[in-house]
Amino acid sequence: MTWSDVTLIAPLVAALLVAFAIIVVDAIAPHRDRIAVAVGLAGLAIVAVLTVWTDQAPGLAFGGAYTVDTLTTYLDLIFIAIVALTVLVGPDYLGPRDLPVAEFAATLVFAMTGAMLIAGSADLLVLFVGLELMVLPGYLLAGYAKRDALSTEGAIKYFLLGSFSSAIFLFGLAYVWGLTGTTRIAGVADAIAAAQGLSPALAMGVAFVTTGVAFKIAAVPFHYWTPDAYQGSPTPVTGYLSVGPKVGAFALIIRVFVEALGPINADWLPVMGVLAVLTMTLGNLVAVTQTNVKRMLAYSSIAHTGYILVGLTAYAADPNSGGLEAVLFYLAAYSFMNLGAFAVVSALQKRPGVTSQLDTFAGLGRREPYLGILMTLFLLSLTGIPPTAGFFAKALIILSAVQAGGWVPILAVITVLNAVAAAFYYLRVVVYMYMRDPQIEPAEVDHGPLLRLGVAVAAVATVILGVLPGPLIDAATKAASSLFRG
Amino acid sequence: MANSLDAYLVLSGLLFATGTFGFLARRNAISMLMSIELMVNAVNLTILAFGAFLPALKDHASVIALIVITVAAAEATVGLAIVIAIFRNRRTPLVDEYDAMRQ
Repeated sequence: MTWSDVTLIAPLVAALLVAFAIIVVDAIAPHRDRIAVAVGLAGLAIVAVLTVWTDQAPGLAFGGAYTVDTLTTYLDLIFIAIVALTVLVGPDYLGPRDLPVAEFAATLVFAMTGAMLIAGSADLLVLFVGLELMVLPGYLLAGYAKRDALSTEGAIKYFLLGSFSSAIFLFGLAYVWGLTGTTRIAGVADAIAAAQGLSPALAMGVAFVTTGVAFKIAAVPFHYWTPDAYQGSPTPVTGYLSVGPKVGAFALIIRVFVEALGPINADWLPVMGVLAVLTMTLGNLVAVTQTNVKRMLAYSSIAHTGYILVGLTAYAADPNSGGLEAVLFYLAAYSFMNLGAFAVVSALQKRPGVTSQLDTFAGLGRREPYLGILMTLFLLSLTGIPPTAGFFAKALIILSAVQAGGWVPILAVITVLNAVAAAFYYLRVVVYMYMRDPQIEPAEVDHGPLLRLGVAVAAVATVILGVLPGPLIDAATKAASSLFRG
Repeated sequence: MANSLDAYLVLSGLLFATGTFGFLARRNAISMLMSIELMVNAVNLTILAFGAFLPALKDHASVIALIVITVAAAEATVGLAIVIAIFRNRRTPLVDEYDAMRQ
């Protein structure tokens, strides 16, 4: 271990220390939620600074097992933002339900460490350990309300399908490793390029890896766990689960498919294309029929997975189509707008017993004007209407699909049709907020300052990315170009 | 074919398939957990078989297997904790009866 190894993994070590610090602070001063949140946020700020700092001197660490490049930094900063926003939104929901805030923050930071490990992994084994470190805290968070039947039910479905898919993924990795003779991602790419095509055994390994990953990103037909896990979890957790592990799984896809399996992108291109079409179409069709907003947003997150897969397909068809840049931009934009939407749902559910049914939103625009406007903003962004982050995210995806040529432009058409269909169920919530009267006038809710800050940050990010997308597109382009392409 | 890499890969493939079948066919959460363990152990057998028959992979195989065992243990811990939590709420380990969200 050299000094540069230490400096390159400094953000990861710092993230672990932050998680431990939150636990220690909670042990010293129990139930002082504000202190735990403050320690967590300050720690996340330090991790962010360290992440930017390590980016000044990128390179490989630990003999080539871990890498810091612009992509690592880009993804790490998204993860930090996701966890920071979730920590801001969480206490308002957890407090009235007597759920501990400090453990919530610590578990989130542990999960973030795993996601950061995925983003920087240059080795399949490191990647697998990072994946598990990311998803295991996720299972616990899903069951965070352990006396609540829905929460534990969501957790067990999430856990069973999650570890089932991990086993499938691992089985595929074992074959990829055994047949290429290395766990290094660059080495796997070289071996595959040298072999000139797939042997049947390696093809089987890649198929298992693909299936495992498809479960993780909730691509149709491997999405069955998603609605129950999302609906059952406490709402701030649902917000986190819909973005954190998803961005993490796409980081894994970029590392595995774009880098390690880059030389055979013609082989996985059609698979991604089919998954993309199925995922966005089915996600949207089922979302239309939902009357529970949390469940609707769960299906909508499945649809968004489909859009992101379109970008990946475009990249596989033509690496110069801008598909990868579009995927990276989409991940950032999606994180902010989706977390924002869930933050509003979470704010409405502050009093225990309030459901996330559509009726809860009736008259919200009059009752709580700010919350109504912000929810409208997030929903418009999820629909893809300018000037919001979601518009540029979708535009980039569609442009890359058009540029890719071959049959991929068909995906652009399907994406547009899907976006139109999605407008129906997003705007239905807006209709409820402004044009329906509640059957029973709900009691007034006083929102905490942290929640206000969290929603405001998500809203500002959604607007800025929609008005001035340039800097983030540049960052995404730089991150995509730093990638090792097999 | 006896005592060859292929034989061990077939064996571990069968074990993996058994685990997969168990996961899909069983409705008891504990049995499903056990099936997942079987799948992970099949992966370990695959890894060790590659290590035993391919000299270049020999050193790596045992390290990878150890890490996989560790991760599997962590996963089982979390899984059992969740099963206990839901058993306290529902008094049943049968996943078919976890249907509160489907009314």
